[in-house]
Amino acid sequence: MKLLLVGMNHRSAPLDLRERLAVEDPGPLVQKLVACEEIDEAVLLSTCNRVEVVALTRSPEAARMRLRSFFRRELGADQPGLLERGLDEALYEYRDGEAMRHVMRVAAALDSMVVGEPQILGQTKDAYRAAVECGACGPILDRLYQRAFATAKRVRTDTRIAEGSLSVARVAVALARQIFEDMSGKRALLLGAGEMAELALGALRDAGVASLAVANRSAERAAQLAVAYGATAHGLDELPRLLAESDVVLTSIGGDRPILRVDTLEPALRVRRGRPIFVIDIGVPRNADPAIDRLDDVYRYDIDALAAVASGNAEERRREQARAEAIVSEEQQRFEGWFAALRAVPTIRDLRGRVEAIRARELERALPRLGLDDDAREAVEALSRALVNKILHAPLSRLRREAEREEGMAYLEVARLLFGLDDDAESAGAEAEGSPDADPEEP
Amino acid sequence: MVVALHTLTGALYLLACLASGAGLALGSARATRIAVGALAVGALAHGLTFSLLHTANPPPPLTDLTWAASLMAWLGTLAYLALLRRAKVSGLVVLVAPMAFLGVFLASLRPGPVAATTAGSASLAHAHVLLASGGFALLGLAGLCGALFLAEHRRLKRRQALPDSGLPSLESLDRAGAVALAIGFPLLTLGVVTGAMWVHAAHGAAMTGNAHEIGALLAWCVYLVLVLQRFAVHQGARRCAVSALAGFALLSVWVVGVEMLA
Repeated sequence: MKLLLVGMNHRSAPLDLRERLAVEDPGPLVQKLVACEEIDEAVLLSTCNRVEVVALTRSPEAARMRLRSFFRRELGADQPGLLERGLDEALYEYRDGEAMRHVMRVAAALDSMVVGEPQILGQTKDAYRAAVECGACGPILDRLYQRAFATAKRVRTDTRIAEGSLSVARVAVALARQIFEDMSGKRALLLGAGEMAELALGALRDAGVASLAVANRSAERAAQLAVAYGATAHGLDELPRLLAESDVVLTSIGGDRPILRVDTLEPALRVRRGRPIFVIDIGVPRNADPAIDRLDDVYRYDIDALAAVASGNAEERRREQARAEAIVSEEQQRFEGWFAALRAVPTIRDLRGRVEAIRARELERALPRLGLDDDAREAVEALSRALVNKILHAPLSRLRREAEREEGMAYLEVARLLFGLDDDAESAGAEAEGSPDADPEEP
Repeated sequence: MVVALHTLTGALYLLACLASGAGLALGSARATRIAVGALAVGALAHGLTFSLLHTANPPPPLTDLTWAASLMAWLGTLAYLALLRRAKVSGLVVLVAPMAFLGVFLASLRPGPVAATTAGSASLAHAHVLLASGGFALLGLAGLCGALFLAEHRRLKRRQALPDSGLPSLESLDRAGAVALAIGFPLLTLGVVTGAMWVHAAHGAAMTGNAHEIGALLAWCVYLVLVLQRFAVHQGARRCAVSALAGFALLSVWVVGVEMLA
């Protein structure tokens, strides 16, 4: 059994590509995936910043091809231009230990655009729940996700990584208050979308901003956000007018070229007659050209700057992140051990089956000769079962422990050889009967 | 009594300095409130000092720099306390309090105001000193707003902002600076006009061509340009802050320079 993860995130794919592949209801899609022969279990996570599938498979190469085509055909619905937009290059793959680690890092928000942000854990739980409900999440992925949720909880409680990220939105508001006297008369504009931008938009709304506007390439998405935040929805063609009217501009929009440049802001500043604009750039890559810093009345903070202010200093942030990564490594090792121990399951099952068959056969042969009543028969049966269990306990425990290590495979092979587990049952039975050990008269 | 009240004023302004410094260092809004309170009580004591001085016969015109500085400090403090009703600039106390203390400290270097013999109308002399000092105090306040604006602007631009530091917002500082300039410039103008009238009453001509008059006229012209730039051209807030600070520096150099020349 192998774990395989294929996906894309805010670092590997631009927003417009992620938007095209994002799904609202992953249930039917993972059902389709597990219906394929090469995939046994699957979970699909789709957020604004990532689309990922974790799968359990017996044929990793076939599953890899299947998942890549799943992204193109099912998620992308064979939209024209996906390949041109770099779909293949945007997809990353992780296997086994790396895949486990990635799932845990995602749940703990260590792979998020804003490290420590709170939404991703809920989104991961939703994805897991959807997979469970449609029967796509079996015992192994179930265990992985339970471990990932426990890891996220540990990271939240044992480190201060979440404090900084939670306060990023608050810092955005606090910084806006250093520029503007009163937020109640101010206008905020959101360009694009994204978790952190929405969080900051919500914080600005709570701070009493007079009006909110949302502009996006996708009018539909702009309309959705506008409804959610009581804002007005606009197209990007209205940007010059919107900039002239806006005091706070939050940007989180895809594209290779910065949307906020000196030439786009200068006309707006002329109209504003020196009233400042606070630009909060949450886009990756950055949506605001750093050259706008030379404009006196523009104050630009990107996500790193906000996070740095939020967590006090970069050194502290790095320290907390290192502690969080150590927790993930510890949990990953624990899960990897459990996962590796699964290799011992077939051997243990076969060995138990073989010994149990011998016990049953020998008991069946001996009991008529002993002429016991029912109570005595039950006592002898219990005795034989207890003997088998006690004899097998130590070797089976050892096999389980050794299977967690790569070198432990040798123990499994030896056990199979010694007990003839790969021989067919009849010949094994015959060997057992013909061997001196099998002679019931032998003391 | 005057000296005792003046010393008490200085002590209260010093307390305001310390409390505002602590407020800034610790990010404590309570310390800032204490500083503003101490400044307000100090301004009350300061006002009583000048009231007692005014009961002297004849009242001193406060034409010497040290006591004029104390008067400016008092008027500036009153202007700041009045500005608090219009803009959220309580954090500006971190600059206002030291300036107020400095004005009182300079005056304390002399035992009392010089009872100078004033040529011409004494009431014109009093009006000139009061109006010019008021104008100077408010333009000084605009300069302080400009200085703090530039410091904050620089910090924000360098992404070294300190959220919840208790310092005023850029918009508050800009607005306070604009109000101070809008009131200070007419007062300065009236100070220059009453000064010219006083000179005319004493010498028969509006100008005698001394350094004080030329400097005053030059400073007035500079401030006229600043006022036009801010209210007619609507130049950016940072440039306004630079102008306000530069104008105040020029005004200070003029006042101190004239005193030294005299």
